[in-house]
Amino acid sequence: MSRRAREATRLRTDIARRLFLQGATGLGLGNVALGMLQEENDQGSAGRSDLPHHTPRARNVIFLTQSGGPSQIELFDHKPQLRRWAGQELPPSVRQGQRLTTMTANQKQLVMPARTRFGKYGHSGATLGEWLPFHREVVDDLCFVKSMVTDQINHAPAMTKMLTGHQIPGRPSLGAWTSYGLGSENRNLPDYLVLISRMKRSSDQPLYDHYWGSGFLPSGYQGVKLRNSSDPVLYLRDPRGLPRRLRRGMLDGIGELNQTRYEATGDPEIKTRIRQYEMAWRMQTSIPELTELADEPESTFALYGPDSRRPGSYAANCILARRLIERGVRFVQLFHPDWDHHSRLSSWCVARCRDTDQASAALVRDLKQRGLLDETLVVWGGEFGRGVAGQGKWDSPEGGRDHHPRCFTVWLAGGGVRPGTTYGATDDFSYNAAVNPVHVRDLHATLLYLLGVDHERFSYRFQGLDFRLTGVEKARPVDGIVN
Amino acid sequence: MCLPRFVSYWICVVIVVVSQTLLSAASPVDFNREIRPILSKHCFQCHGFDGQARQADLRLDTVTGMTAETESGNRVVVPGKPTGSALFLRVTSPDADLRMPPPEVADGLSAAEVERLRRWIEEGAQWSEHWAFVPPQLPPLPGADPAGWRRNGIDAFILARLNEVKLSPAPEAGRETLLRRVVLDLRGLPPSIAEMEHFQRDASPDAYERMVDRVLAGPHYGERMARLWLDLARYADSSGYANDRLRSIWPYRDWVTDAFNTDMPFDQFTLEQLAGDLLPDATQSQIVASGFHRNTPHQYEGGSDPEQYRVERVKNRLDTTGTVWLGLTVGCAQCHTHKFDPISQTEYYQLYAFFNSANETKHSVASSAQQAEITRLVTEIGRLKKVLEQSPAPNESAEDVKRRLEERTKALDQLRKSLPTTLVFREPAKKRTTRVHLRGDFLVPGQQVEPGTLSRLHPFRQPSSGVATRVDLARWIMSADNPLTARVTTNRFWQHFFGQGLVETENDFGHRGAPPTHPELLDWLAHTWSSGGFSLKRLHRLILTSATYRQDSAARAELAAADPFNRRLGRQSRHRVEGEIIRDMALSVSGRLSRKMGGRSVFPPIPANVIGTSSARHKWPTSAGEDRFRRGLYTAVYRANVYPMLSTFDGPDRDNACTKRTRSNTPLQSLSLANDPAMAELFRGLAERLLKVSADSDSVRLVYGFRLCLGRRPNQTELDRLLAFCAHQRSFFTADQEAARAVAGTAPLPAASPQEFAVWYAVARLFFNLDEFVTRE
Repeated sequence: MSRRAREATRLRTDIARRLFLQGATGLGLGNVALGMLQEENDQGSAGRSDLPHHTPRARNVIFLTQSGGPSQIELFDHKPQLRRWAGQELPPSVRQGQRLTTMTANQKQLVMPARTRFGKYGHSGATLGEWLPFHREVVDDLCFVKSMVTDQINHAPAMTKMLTGHQIPGRPSLGAWTSYGLGSENRNLPDYLVLISRMKRSSDQPLYDHYWGSGFLPSGYQGVKLRNSSDPVLYLRDPRGLPRRLRRGMLDGIGELNQTRYEATGDPEIKTRIRQYEMAWRMQTSIPELTELADEPESTFALYGPDSRRPGSYAANCILARRLIERGVRFVQLFHPDWDHHSRLSSWCVARCRDTDQASAALVRDLKQRGLLDETLVVWGGEFGRGVAGQGKWDSPEGGRDHHPRCFTVWLAGGGVRPGTTYGATDDFSYNAAVNPVHVRDLHATLLYLLGVDHERFSYRFQGLDFRLTGVEKARPVDGIVN
Repeated sequence: MCLPRFVSYWICVVIVVVSQTLLSAASPVDFNREIRPILSKHCFQCHGFDGQARQADLRLDTVTGMTAETESGNRVVVPGKPTGSALFLRVTSPDADLRMPPPEVADGLSAAEVERLRRWIEEGAQWSEHWAFVPPQLPPLPGADPAGWRRNGIDAFILARLNEVKLSPAPEAGRETLLRRVVLDLRGLPPSIAEMEHFQRDASPDAYERMVDRVLAGPHYGERMARLWLDLARYADSSGYANDRLRSIWPYRDWVTDAFNTDMPFDQFTLEQLAGDLLPDATQSQIVASGFHRNTPHQYEGGSDPEQYRVERVKNRLDTTGTVWLGLTVGCAQCHTHKFDPISQTEYYQLYAFFNSANETKHSVASSAQQAEITRLVTEIGRLKKVLEQSPAPNESAEDVKRRLEERTKALDQLRKSLPTTLVFREPAKKRTTRVHLRGDFLVPGQQVEPGTLSRLHPFRQPSSGVATRVDLARWIMSADNPLTARVTTNRFWQHFFGQGLVETENDFGHRGAPPTHPELLDWLAHTWSSGGFSLKRLHRLILTSATYRQDSAARAELAAADPFNRRLGRQSRHRVEGEIIRDMALSVSGRLSRKMGGRSVFPPIPANVIGTSSARHKWPTSAGEDRFRRGLYTAVYRANVYPMLSTFDGPDRDNACTKRTRSNTPLQSLSLANDPAMAELFRGLAERLLKVSADSDSVRLVYGFRLCLGRRPNQTELDRLLAFCAHQRSFFTADQEAARAVAGTAPLPAASPQEFAVWYAVARLFFNLDEFVTRE
């Protein structure tokens, strides 16, 4: 759809959207609204009428959430001088009273140099640890932010902060804000979809529903989690014995009786329900069509790697993410758990890299070759980084790293991001963000900016206060990230 | 997720402003309704309650501040003289540097706001306290009632506001609608056909009132009300956070049901939940009640700092208390003094001090039979010990006595171990010291504080000896001088019975909250309720027997034009019921419902892998027998992974008090109602029930099913459509016997062919998916 057509759609559905929302909050409108409601088209949802604030650089987002805290020291943040400090105590001038989890608070902070060798790649000369070989091919499309900062040191609060802007659950997630603000252009699928990797061994790190929740926004904006099994959406199949052509008959039966009741009561909520039954009917086809990868050519699976044939794998989800973007879905969020490497980092971290490296890089290449990367913002990152000190024995294969909030690395690509760059830097120990720190809230402001939204003017009134994704502390879109 | 309503907030604002502008041409400007919101929106952030944020030593939230001299020597407000008042001059100054508020702080005043401010000063600048901080008085009943519409005091206030805009109330709803409405609101299960016929036939003038009384007296009333209260209590069966372990706190849930059923007065209800463990000679039931504040999430993640999360739980308790009983966003004051409401950071930590010392423990809960058995065993053990100490009676040997003593001791031990436990508070003798957390950070302690309350509200009575406890806090909350609690509570129940509160921001009665649409009615209700002994059943009866409640809910053109959001209540509201209630209704209509009350939470069937994909430790030991079909109140709730149907229908997150559920309307809900195998089992139940009706035509069965599901008889159009649907299904299944057999399955059928069964199964599915089925009209 052309931009002009999209704008027209947005305007057309704007009023209907607002009326729909009033219905959703239980405020009956009566006959005044009937005519307008009947004019609503089926071209997706419209978003907020005052958005975008400026010309968007990105239309869609794919957030590749690496849950658990990937180690920036092994993967991205090259600190060759750490070898000289191996096994020595971290200087207090570096640590500056940083809190530790109780797992390592009583242990000496002995420096553990990176377990990987590093190289420089691409025209941009980006540094990468050896565990991410496929990333080498796309570094010139990526922008590495090495000076990310958060203020939480436990998983659930830190992930909640990363995804909702606040450590305590109850705020809308980034995807919910985006769906609320910008709506979607697909009439057959929800605006915001969540895909969670099916791990080969069961994960002991839960992912909370509120990570993609709508907080105080209407619940229609929450992420719809596609399940990583044979039934990606619950209850898509009609009950046993009822063939699909009977479903149409049932929808008509429901629709007619609902319409009769609508005429008697004038409640616009009934109209919404009729529409949602129709959407559900379309999802019964659109979801299987989306998740049935048989129509992908061999080259796709070659690009994303052998694991992409395993339903629910990270690689398969990356293909799904691309398919969703092709269908105009606004926000797609992947979660890959188990990056929490307190011990045996050399074995486990490399395993997570193997799960994700090829497919993450493939997604960027695939979007680019299809001309979708320009309008799609891809974000790769976790909730915090890992500390330079070893946890357990620094020089044994058992060694790992504890959580670390003061610096970590994320990368961005596509939609308005400056490609082939590195933004910010850490100190010699990859401990503090030394140059151009980017707080989580700055990242949020930047993502919104790229979507055409001024984070300071994008608020929602709740309990008498105007809430923003970026909260009350000063946040800013980071110029150095924007192309 | 919990809440929202403000999506259309700006439209409301526009309408309120417009209507107030029209009204104000005749009446003087009302400070609370028209001026305080302006000050709150544009000024209080820098000139309000918060002393640290205050600029130029100027405050506009008190009468003293408002009439003081400014730094430049002018008076802030000179009554009668807008152009002599610094306030007016500064908001209208042509000099951008002087004009208030500064653009980086807040938006400038609109022309309408400036005009209102000018008129208010001109009319004498009468200042008054924020409405919600003034104790409610009993207002006189307003107005005339020529049509004789009023049934009780409520109606007088409603009628007066409708008359202002020349609207009349809606006619009374039909008896079928009334019965279903009352029963869904108070019981959460649909009326039976016998009830419908009984009520239809009852020609006595107080037939309706007696029907309400019957429902109030039934045991399911407590379950229905517990559903509401447990949202406030953030009740769940798991610990939350990363581990989200199952835990046992269901005795607290059952305590709530009982308290509603026995109509425990709300002051006692409050006291026991906030401080039951501290009451003299606390009973088991009172100790269980203290579980209210044990419903917080609990962090067990490896490596987390226990003190950090203990502090978080204490804050959760404080915030919840503020939301539930005071209707104030107390939590905003944890990092800094509240920007808009009179809650200082010091006061926040004084409140915190009430909750800071309590130990979090478990308590074993014995039924009365078990309690009797324990007493019997303890007595006998005592007696046997005494016998041993003295000398055994001649006819029993010391060995015998020893053996019996051992047996009894073992039996007692086993019985005690078998008792269920529940989470409770225990107050230790030694109190924790409470200090202010600077910027809300528990690692940066500030000054030490003692337990205390909010100085702007009614006075706190210190105990005659010792440090104030949660008992004193509960008494302060339920004091007759408290301006907030009775209003907040009556408003919340009003919201249940009308779909929206008289105060739309049911969780914020502070300066930024919405003013009540019917302030006098709210005061009348609050005053009547509190002075009458805080009986909730009486309050509910009062509301339900009003003519206002009994109105029809259908839209009317003149209402839609004059009052599109039905704020004046010229009709009842029509809204979807909660997820639990939808399931309860389906269970009931299908004939599968178990009416067993209380006990451990149950695990109704769910599809494989629904719980457990995101959280490996979640277990779902699917219940057997009647526990598969218990009311939604008893379904086990994991905080991190809610039973899918309940989360699809806006079940709240349970980490914080939810004061109002969202009513979303999504495609996933359609899929859940039409295709969930657990629902399919209920289609089956209803189909069997319909086939058991002795009938010689489809009509008889259709009417019966329609009445079961919707509580009324279909009209001719509806019946015709249903007949056509039935015929269509029959022709389909006659042609496709295989499909019919697949629907019928292998379970034994009532005397019917597979295709007849399939027809009625399809009809049952249709009924459950009608908008009206999930809606209370």
